[in-house]
Parts: sequence; C-alpha cells; structure tokens
Amino acid sequence: MNSRFLLSALAVVAISACTKAPTGSEQPGSLTPVELPTDHPNINPLPDPEMNGGHAGRAPRRISVAQLKTSIITVTGRQWSQIDNLASSLGQADYAITVSDATEPNLVFAKFLEDGAREVCLNAARDDLAKMTPDTRVLWPDVPGAPRDFTTLDDTTIGNNLKTMSIRFWGSPFDDAEITAWTETFKKVAARAKTANRPEQAWGSICVAMMTDPRFITY
Amino acid sequence: MKKDQSPSLQGALARRTFMKAAAGFAGTTLFGGVTFKAFAQMSSLAPADHCFVFAYFNGGWDVLLSLDPRDPAVFTPERISETRILPGYSLLSNDASFPTNVVRPQGSNIDFGPAIGRMANHFDQMAIVRGVNMNTVAHEVGFRYFLTGKEPNGSAARASSTATEIVGQLKPSVPVPNVAYNIETYNDRYPGYANALRVSSSNDLLLTLAPSPTALDSEIERELVDMHGRRISCEADLYDSRGLVKQYRESQAQMQTVLSAQLDRYFRFEDNTADTAAMRAEKAALRTLYGLRPEGGNDPRTSAAARAALVATALKRGVSQCVSMNITGGLDTHFGTQLTHAQNQRTGWNALADLVTDLKASPHPSGGTFMEHTTILIFSEFSRTPLINASGGRDHHITNSCMLLGKGIKHNTVFGKSGDVGLSAGVIDHRTGAPSATGEQILPDHVIATVMKAANIDYSITRVEPLAGLLA
Repeated sequence: MNSRFLLSALAVVAISACTKAPTGSEQPGSLTPVELPTDHPNINPLPDPEMNGGHAGRAPRRISVAQLKTSIITVTGRQWSQIDNLASSLGQADYAITVSDATEPNLVFAKFLEDGAREVCLNAARDDLAKMTPDTRVLWPDVPGAPRDFTTLDDTTIGNNLKTMSIRFWGSPFDDAEITAWTETFKKVAARAKTANRPEQAWGSICVAMMTDPRFITY
Repeated sequence: MKKDQSPSLQGALARRTFMKAAAGFAGTTLFGGVTFKAFAQMSSLAPADHCFVFAYFNGGWDVLLSLDPRDPAVFTPERISETRILPGYSLLSNDASFPTNVVRPQGSNIDFGPAIGRMANHFDQMAIVRGVNMNTVAHEVGFRYFLTGKEPNGSAARASSTATEIVGQLKPSVPVPNVAYNIETYNDRYPGYANALRVSSSNDLLLTLAPSPTALDSEIERELVDMHGRRISCEADLYDSRGLVKQYRESQAQMQTVLSAQLDRYFRFEDNTADTAAMRAEKAALRTLYGLRPEGGNDPRTSAAARAALVATALKRGVSQCVSMNITGGLDTHFGTQLTHAQNQRTGWNALADLVTDLKASPHPSGGTFMEHTTILIFSEFSRTPLINASGGRDHHITNSCMLLGKGIKHNTVFGKSGDVGLSAGVIDHRTGAPSATGEQILPDHVIATVMKAANIDYSITRVEPLAGLLA
C-alpha cells in the first residue's frame, strides 16, 4: 500500500516537473531567452581577440566532400553529377592511399566547386522556369507569377528572394548593407540575362555566387 | 583586470578591440585595399625557382640494360657459374637500333646499357647511383620505399611522398604545386596544400586548367568574379583571423589567373587552328622535340613522350613545382624476350631525354636554364635478376640503381657499385661513392635524403645522412 502511494506520488512529481504552463508572453513554438543573473559579467557579442590569441571564436573549417554532397542536395534538391568522380581531388580520403580528408580550400577545390555550382544551379534554374507555382521553385520562391524577364522585379521582391536564398544556402539572412549590393548585382545580371535571352542565368548566377561563397563551404 | 571595469567601459573596450582587430586584419588581408579582379590580375604565374621531377619505371627494370651494364665480352655465357651475370645484349639483335655493347658517349664517365637510348647524351647532367639495396623484391614495397624514402610497414607506405615533403616544406606559390600523374602519392603530416593533384591522364589536368564546361554570359562571368572578392562584414573578417576564408579567396583569385591565362591550351599538344600563330609555332616545335604524332606513334595525350612534354609544360608555365609520374611500364618481364623489356625501357628513357633537352634549352626567368633549376630522380622498385630464367625472362632482384639529374647533384659521375658476382649490393663509402670495407650499404633512404638536401630542406624525416659525395 505504502509503495503504491509512493509510486503515485513520484509520478505526480515527474509529470509536474515536465510540464510547464505557458506564460502570457510565450507563443507555441517560440523560445524565451534565459535571463542572466544580475551579477553576471557583461557578455560581448564577440570574444575579445586580445584574450584569445588574436582570434575570435574557434577556427572556421571547410566542409568535407561528404558534407558538400549533402549540402548541395539540401539546398538545390539535385546533385552535382561529377562529385563522386572528383571526390579525391576535392579532398576525400580513400583510406588506401589517403587516410584523412583534406579540407584545404585550394585552387583545385575552388575550380571544381565553381564547375559543380554552375552545373547544379543552371539546371535548377531551368527547372524553375517551367514551374508555375512560386513555392515549388528552388531559386526564386518569393517571386510571384512565372516571369522569364526578371528586370521588372522591384527591389523589395528581389531583396525578399535574396534573403530566402541566403537562409537556404548559408543558414543566415543577409544584413541590410549587404543586401543592397547583391540587389544591385542581381539587377545587372538580370538585365544581361534578358539581353542574352538566357533567363536561367539571372537567378542561376546568384545561386552560383552563393554556392561558391565562403559561407557555403565553411562552418 | 577587465572584470573589475564597469560594464559600459568594458563595452567600449570591446568595441575598440574589435575595431582594432578588424582593422589589423583588413591591413593584412590581400583584399583590404585591392579589388578581387585587380588581385587576380596582379597574380602572375612565375615558375618555381627549384623544380622537381620524379619519374617511375613501372614493373622493375633491368639495370644491365641501362644504368648498371656489364661488358658482354667479359661476362660471357661460359663464365656464368663464376659471375652469375649474363648481360644478354646479343638477344636484342633482332632490333638493329640497339647497340650490342656497353655505351659510353665521348666525354662521359658513365657506362650505359643498350636500352638507355638518347638519355646517354645527357651524361653531363647526371649521376648514377649503383648497388642500392632495396631490401625487398615485392613491387609495391619497393615502389613505396623509393617514393617515400622509408621502408614500408608490410606494403603500407609510412611517410609522405618525397614530392609532398618538398612542397610541404617549401610552400610554393604556384597554382598546382604537386602533380602526381598516374602514380601513388602520400601525405602523412602536411596540410592539404601539399597534397598532389592526382591525374590519371592529361585530360584530368586539362579539367583543372580549362574554363568551366558550363559557360555563363561573359558579362555575368565578370559580375561573378567581382562577387568573389566582395567583403562580407568586419565581423566575418574577424572570425576569419586564422585565414581560411582568405585562403579560399586567394585560391579563387589564383583560379581566375589560371583560367585567364588559358593554360589548358598549352597542354593540348595537338595543332589547333584557333590558337595564335605564335602558339601554333610553339606547339609545333614541342611536337617535333618530343616526337608527338597525332596520327599515330607517340600519341599527344597518352604516350610516354606526351607525359614528358606535360611535365616540361607544367614546370615552364609556372603551374607546378613537383611533378611525379609513371613514365613507362611493361617491365615486369618474367617471361618472353629481352627485346620487349629493352624496348619498353628505352621508350621511357627517350621521353625523359627529350624532357632534359627541352629543359636545357629553356631559359628560366631567374637566370640560367630550367635544367639548372630542376632536380630529377628516376627510379624503379627493384631490378631484374642478372641471369635469365628458364622462361627467357628475368625475375626480381634486390640490387637496384637510380639516376639523379640537375640542380644540387654532382654531374657526370657514378656513385656506388654493385658486385661483379651476382650483381650484389656492396658496402660503399658515402663520402666518395667508392666500395669500402668500412662503408655502408646504400638504401633508398639515402637517395631520398640526398634529394631533400639538394632541395635545401629538412631531411631528418629519413633518419639518415645524404650521400655526401653525390651532392654538388
């Protein structure tokens, strides 16, 4: 009898420990930052380089070939056809002759990544041109309608789509200063793509730029 | 100390520190004040001051036919029981282009076997090391031993390839410093920059040097190049104070330099009407020198001569500093005739002879010829038995030879000696190269230490001293 009572009491305590009634300000799916104690020292957004050997945070790393392969599929839904053939040149270990992955961002990596980005991005852009519904598109989901001429887009639409792409490719949105420069670049590229009658190169080349950007290949 | 400061003062200091570090980074970065396009234009393709070539004869060569010959009038079939050596030069008589005796060009201090081909003419640039004890007659073991200068563990290499060691230590600025053409390459202690670009054919190298197969509109291409160099933010610069992103930017700039130089055109040895007249003339001269014939014979992409031409082009155009390659094969001739082996071996020697001719005739930007700025090591995994077996071939033999040419090496000289009985490995005085009862055996470790010393790099990884008498 006593043990049954004890078990019931423990179950009540466990349930109450795991359940927290939402407060008035909390919405489902949102997180409330933990408040710091009042006597906690000031936290700077970046570690002090002088206290860290001149560096801020840990050293960035280049993604491995396996990570690159997964990243390309994740952001574009398609794979670079030559990635397996070029894996050893991109740094993948074969565990026979080379026993550790090379993650040096050297010339060969830069060259082959550029080749791969072009193949994947332009194919994705060609597919997107045929899609009538914006949210099914990979590279311009925030552009309404099904335009082939992107010179008519306004800055807000371009900016929104660039932000979506930056989150898709890098996991973080552009800041305002950067988005202005990219918007200007996109306008030039879109104008040239229209003149050359190569509409896939408008957003396709932005995709290439994002895939070959350091933020795509580092973590 | 900082913990005692007020939060507001701390914040100000942190901002100041951040700005200071960011400014410092901007000052050091190549892109601090130069646009990416301008940087790419500024980077030039200058050849390395000291270049290296490692040429491998695949299968185990017969040194009697090239580097360690014996006079057939002395080492006769009648004396086999005494000498245990049969040169067998008379067995090459079906091909009249082979001499039937030892070759010694005028002025040479070196004797060569009949398969040496045109390479004998370059005696003035070379040293031959004889009587090298390979400690193995297994293909992969001997090959990896010579490639790394360390005896393998079982058959597993246990050090970096010598080319990787050189690039790892010298850190050259050429775009593809280390190329391994159809040959294994190892890196056990250097960052990725020292890794060799492994190519199995010239087409692989062309893929690296040629523009992307997916072309963009030329103006869009220019916009992309500008975007490569675009700065992200001060904060991003600070996070990259260790330089990974900077290195990637530099690689992209180097890529632009390589692509804008259209270097791939120099590696396509066939005549191309789209090339300029000067380039067509240059390529025609190269085809003549290496005997490249698109219509047959020496194929401009796959033949030994094409491989040698590729090496020369990579060094002269400032693409690479070290090129390792499998120059010829078909040498593991346990069965069949001596002639096949001799022909295959001579193919390799002739290709390398053309390479040396080319390097001798090509001026290096820092003065002298390319040959004066290049060190070449030519090796095989072991040699073949000094006696012919019952199947008419030769089996694996432990005593080997190798050839060194060019910068840092004493020229027109023979170092070491193999025995006149059974071609045995002897003990040699490493200061003079002469046989000595108090000397030591010559191992691949010593040869590799000598190459590293010639390169003026740390050779302590070999744990032996270089062959002092071989160094210039």
